[in-house]
Amino acid sequence: MIHRSHIRFGQQGSFIGRGIWCVAMGIWLLLTAISPSWSQASQDDPGLSEEFMEMSIEDLMTVKITSVAKKAQSLSEAAAAIFVITQEDIRRSGVTSIAEALRMVPGLQVARIDANKWTITSRGFSGRFSNKLLVLIDGRSVYTPIFSGVFWDAQDTLLEDIERIEVIRGPGATLWGANAVNGVINIITKTAKDTQGGLMYGGAGTEERGFGGVRYGTKLGDHTYWRIYTKYFNRDDAVYASGDDAADGWDVLRGGFRMDWQGSGGDSLTLSGDIYDGEIGERITTPSLAFPYSSTTDQEYNQGGGNLLGRWERKISETSDMALQLYYDRYDIDPSIIGLTVDTVDMDFQHRFSLGDRQEIIWGLGYRYMSDDIDNGATVSFMPDSRDYDIFSAFVQDEIVVVEDLLKLVLGSKFEDNDYTGFEVQPNARLTWMPHEQHSVWAAVSRAVRTPSRAEDDVRIGLAVIPPGIPQNPGPLPVELTAVGDRDFDSEELLAYEIGYRVRPMDELSLDVTAFFNDYDSLRTGKFGMPFPDPPLSPTRMVLPFTQDNEDEAETYGVELAADWRPSDWWRFQGAYSYLNIVLEQGDDSVELSSTSRRSASPHHQVSLRSAMDLPGGLELDLWFRYVDDLPSLDVDDYITLDTRLGWHPRKDLEISVVGQNLLDNQHPEYQPEFLDTAPTEVEHSIYAKITWQF
Amino acid sequence: MMMKPCRLVLIILVWSIICVGQMARGEPPVSREYALKAAFLYNFAKFVEWPKEAFPDESTPIAICIVGDDPFGIALEAVKGRAVRGRKTVIKRGVKPDELTTCHICFVSRSEEENLAESLAELRDCHALTVSDVEGFAQRGGVIGLVTVEDGIHLEINVDAAERAGVTVSSRLLKLAKIIRGDTGGREN
Repeated sequence: MIHRSHIRFGQQGSFIGRGIWCVAMGIWLLLTAISPSWSQASQDDPGLSEEFMEMSIEDLMTVKITSVAKKAQSLSEAAAAIFVITQEDIRRSGVTSIAEALRMVPGLQVARIDANKWTITSRGFSGRFSNKLLVLIDGRSVYTPIFSGVFWDAQDTLLEDIERIEVIRGPGATLWGANAVNGVINIITKTAKDTQGGLMYGGAGTEERGFGGVRYGTKLGDHTYWRIYTKYFNRDDAVYASGDDAADGWDVLRGGFRMDWQGSGGDSLTLSGDIYDGEIGERITTPSLAFPYSSTTDQEYNQGGGNLLGRWERKISETSDMALQLYYDRYDIDPSIIGLTVDTVDMDFQHRFSLGDRQEIIWGLGYRYMSDDIDNGATVSFMPDSRDYDIFSAFVQDEIVVVEDLLKLVLGSKFEDNDYTGFEVQPNARLTWMPHEQHSVWAAVSRAVRTPSRAEDDVRIGLAVIPPGIPQNPGPLPVELTAVGDRDFDSEELLAYEIGYRVRPMDELSLDVTAFFNDYDSLRTGKFGMPFPDPPLSPTRMVLPFTQDNEDEAETYGVELAADWRPSDWWRFQGAYSYLNIVLEQGDDSVELSSTSRRSASPHHQVSLRSAMDLPGGLELDLWFRYVDDLPSLDVDDYITLDTRLGWHPRKDLEISVVGQNLLDNQHPEYQPEFLDTAPTEVEHSIYAKITWQF
Repeated sequence: MMMKPCRLVLIILVWSIICVGQMARGEPPVSREYALKAAFLYNFAKFVEWPKEAFPDESTPIAICIVGDDPFGIALEAVKGRAVRGRKTVIKRGVKPDELTTCHICFVSRSEEENLAESLAELRDCHALTVSDVEGFAQRGGVIGLVTVEDGIHLEINVDAAERAGVTVSSRLLKLAKIIRGDTGGREN
């Protein structure tokens, strides 16, 4: 029987923080209850027509008539480094997972660690447990509080039902909360109304051993639309540098549903859920106390989970609406290096309205409750092994038209009260200048924080064992180097300065350039403590603790460019380029241990070039070149690779495609993982064929 | 002191209800929808080619005609003064059947739903791009149908009707639309 200690840490939160939050909410309650309606909608808004006239026709197709709370807006006006991956981009690129689709975004580093793990980060600080990117699927956060990052192998849905993926690099702190330090990825699925009828697909290949899925959507009465889906895939092992097969194959079965109901009074309701279950393989090397002081095992672990989400939206008037969202999410792995179960319950409310002629205000409140249960392992353990925590948050944003159709200012801030660091404030200011129909310039200053995770506070990880009787360790006992969490670990901070320019010199060409400078403080570092014998009375080893602290500072700067060019009706090019430079300034006592910190493991340059050609006879030829610079601190070379897709539509409802991936060499490495040394594997060239039928 | 979760939920719910009661219930989003449709009309002019006979000389403007009641209000004003491939655009409202020959784009408003077959028959020889948001417009022989779904506007393009009218629709536009074939010629219902 395992002893579980359930300790409530509610008292840890700052009293002042909660007090301010309560007072703020009380004032709002009072104001809205007694004041007259602030949403004086003007029925005819000439400015709106002008705005639409300036959009490209592809953009017009994405505009929502009923605007949603986080405001659908023409991309050219957004004061942020935003890139949208459309469903067409996903289909033509031949990618089989959300993580792979992200490679086409400038400013994102996507690297495969092994066949089932990725490191995905924006503007630096990569790692399997990279922690500065917020990822949402239909408003549900998929970030895990265990190490404040994302388990990318668990994030999936029917790719054909993804409407678009919005990627915002840079701090998105105001609307989405803490941990969106370097960016936000918002995965939006199609409404049930847009996925009516059936879709079935299946295929097989060299790395994709076999995959298939079905979706069916139907109408219930006049106002309710439904869909359900199921999908399965089985992926092959990758290879080691030697060319031998690795042990990291995986397979996952997943299913889900979505229901949308549209009322006549401006109300709408969405309900959705997913469940999944998979087997994931990996090879783990763990330190051990006896010769040969490390052991390597191939193992498979089970990963599963599910979620349920409900959202109610009400359109109050032309310029005002509100939304209330509630979701539950469960994630479970068993047994990997540890067994882990995380439950999350989250509630969010948002309201948007105009204030006078020139201002639009969006504000919201949120509450999240998380509970985890960990089965500690020999190498990695958490103390306590179970913890409940919650976060209260509020945000407000004011969009001010300073000069009509010329200058727009957005001021906002998020307030958060969490169990680790108390009250946090993340303000930002953004300015957009639109001197001409075809140009716009924007600039932003923001503060963002990355709050501590369980890993920083409570973990104990055996990193390595130094054998006895060697020059580094002359004593008789082996020395176990152990990373230890610290309750006083503070939030990491960022002050970001960004500027961007968008231009559409002609209908067929658009360019988007962003430059940024990030000033980081209180970055996670480690320092050695005093070694001590363990267990104290009859020691089997000496423990050398490596504690986590916030001693580092860093500056990063870079440039991101996205271009979209259509030389003719049937040919389209899309290119992305990023440049990044990271300058670390370590604190005096801190040490950058190669197995715990991989900050300089970001490539300086990345290029992505996609060409999509529509050929006669219903054929499509798509090419995707990628170049990624080397990672010298990880000993990973630069690489250039090519994906090719040939698609054919013999009939309107049938699509046959053949996709070759990573074609320019037999195999190439992309990353070396830190922590929990999973043996890195290399990405092989591969090919698969797929048939998709719509009925 | 930490607020209990259920108490918090209750407060948010109660207060949301108060807000809802206070706010004015708005009209359905007419102006936003038609502002969007106006932009579509403007864009269609960019992606459609008319036969040479449709324009007597270089300075002939592109005529956008509204057949029936005008649902756009001032939304279409934003088109004025915008040039498409060197030609100005001009808007004509309340156009009578005998004036239709001078039109390049004819938007048939919902008020004409009853007389749809008649209007379509009259437009056949006029090199006009016929657009409407009447249900099933493209199926009944119109060139472009604007289908409003709750979250946006979808396009249906009847390629046979386009061919009959003598207009060429760019493949960039075709790609975004659901293609309809078959031409009832306005004779059947």
